[in-house]
Amino acid sequence: MIDLAALAAAVHLLGSSWQPWMVVVPGILIGLIVHAVPGLTTSMALAICLPLIPYMDFLQALIFMTAMYAGALFGVAIPAILLNVPGSAAAVGTTFDGFPMAQAGRHNEALGLALAASCAGQAIAYLLLLCFAEPIAAFAIRLGPPEMLVVALWGMTLIARLRGRHLARGLLAGVFGLLLGTVGLSVRGAARGTFGFDLLLDGIPIVPAIVGLFAAAELFNLVGHDYIVDDLTNRRVDAGRILAGMRDTFRYPGTLLRGALLGSSIGILPGGHAIANLLSYSEAQRAAKDPEKFGTGDPRGIIAAESANASSEGGSMATLLALGIPTGGATAVMLVAFGMHNITGGPAFMRDHTDLVYAVILSSLAQVGILAVVGFGFIFVAGFVVKVRLRMLVPIVLALAVIGSFALAQNMAGPITLAVFAVIGWLMQRFDYPVAAVVVGLLLGRLTEGALLRTYQMSGGEIGFMATRPIALGMLVLFAVSVALPYLRPARPRVAASG
Amino acid sequence: MAPPLARFTFGERTIAIDVPHLAFATAIAGWCIWFCQDAWRAQRDVENLIMILPASVLAVILYVFVAAGCVRIVRSPEHDAAAPRQPLGPGMAGKIAGTMALLSAYVIAAPLIGFDVVSFVYILTMLWFLGERRIVVLLLGPALFCTIAIYCFDTILATPLPLLFFSGDAS
Repeated sequence: MIDLAALAAAVHLLGSSWQPWMVVVPGILIGLIVHAVPGLTTSMALAICLPLIPYMDFLQALIFMTAMYAGALFGVAIPAILLNVPGSAAAVGTTFDGFPMAQAGRHNEALGLALAASCAGQAIAYLLLLCFAEPIAAFAIRLGPPEMLVVALWGMTLIARLRGRHLARGLLAGVFGLLLGTVGLSVRGAARGTFGFDLLLDGIPIVPAIVGLFAAAELFNLVGHDYIVDDLTNRRVDAGRILAGMRDTFRYPGTLLRGALLGSSIGILPGGHAIANLLSYSEAQRAAKDPEKFGTGDPRGIIAAESANASSEGGSMATLLALGIPTGGATAVMLVAFGMHNITGGPAFMRDHTDLVYAVILSSLAQVGILAVVGFGFIFVAGFVVKVRLRMLVPIVLALAVIGSFALAQNMAGPITLAVFAVIGWLMQRFDYPVAAVVVGLLLGRLTEGALLRTYQMSGGEIGFMATRPIALGMLVLFAVSVALPYLRPARPRVAASG
Repeated sequence: MAPPLARFTFGERTIAIDVPHLAFATAIAGWCIWFCQDAWRAQRDVENLIMILPASVLAVILYVFVAAGCVRIVRSPEHDAAAPRQPLGPGMAGKIAGTMALLSAYVIAAPLIGFDVVSFVYILTMLWFLGERRIVVLLLGPALFCTIAIYCFDTILATPLPLLFFSGDAS
């Protein structure tokens, strides 16, 4: 599987000059800082840095961009945990247990858990990529809408898991989210639910909607409080407790590994990185013996979400390097950087520049260690957010969210969406609807509709079509087993007893 | 104490309704129905309605269950029917409503006047509204935020923010 000669050449490439390594720390820091602002995205950070790319050699440019990507993938967890602000769709799952831990004064541990899970997830994904780059690429090219549909349906089961105390309210929230996700132009150009506003033709801006539903709604509830953490003694930023959180991550190797494998596999699909964290969270909850603890500040929730989010980078990189296909905004910008050096990703690139591909993978593995150190320092500083009085924090975060939403949408659709969804989110909390279910629906709405429609068009309405898609069938079986397993589990002792 | 439910008497039977919750659920279901109808009007084919139609029907079914849960039969006049949620703390309703109103005003005014000025005024007003009375903090906090935020977004990120005073190349 590994071309040893190319691997040796890659080691030589990386070891012969210090220059490629000079960009790692700045890259990671840019990624971390950008995601401290609600509404800013990895692709935006990468795009801003594009003018620097022609001044770097190709390897250095790739290392710079992967470092930024790695920093950003962990960076989104910081506001998600401290402020309940998922900086992107990839951090939604992290808020479920991260913010409750922060509110309980366990923000140090939560940030440590997220950092270690992110580093471990990335390491596993890149090790997989190193060993199986070509098989992964061959697998990726066989995936299409039916497979994506199965993944989307799998993700949708999370709605039922997030139902809260009232099943009907939870499901209604999820369906409401699904429909919101389909607002805008249909594939055949029909405008749906836009109220005649051109700004909504591209659909509801997802990140401002998520920030509004989660963060702004939560901040409304916090206006009467002094600090995020009420207890003064729990407000400390403690390096020892961050390290304890990092150590705790490895107490749940199953959750970590499952998250990393799910993230790596789903990351190869277009848009997959956005739902990898949700799917992993859902599976971790499903597999747990005490699923009711999820959502109340359970470390496993953070590990599952973060390991999948981080490892999705490896999957995305596999598709980018081996097929030249971007799976999201960030990898699309990377492809532009390829073009600046007159290089086209794809099978020919893999064949002719295997040493470069290995060099990128090896440097990314090294970046994991650097991220652990830089990220530790960064969260030590970011953790001081809990010491800021809420009367100062609330207006600043809301103003940043509004400006960030504008930057993201490049028009007023972002801020308006944020304000409208903030009110909806607060009302949903008030009437005991699970806000997270709306977000899952919102994320999956357009994805599911597109996959469903393309599958329908490919199959011509014939259900037997699925039999010609062995990967989709295999995924369906896994999906069915995963859904059925919690119901079968309590029966085991009885079977054993009767046997 | 939880807020009381509205009571309605029909003959000998009294029912208690959680009106605010019912109104909210009705608004969600109403939007789902309107959206489905809007999509239907835009294009009546499978490509357009493949997911919207079944999801909307499901939303209406779920709404019926939610709405039924908002209504309770009061068995005896002494029976205390209360809404199943905690009341807001003293003064919280005003603070939350004020925060929502200020956020809405900020979003509406920013593109009309300029993010620089409106952000300054918004943060200053919010600080004052939430209890900050130190003049230095009231003036320096918003000024510092606006300078850094507007510089980063307008100059570094080249975001076309509508600005009144600091209009750079991007605006």
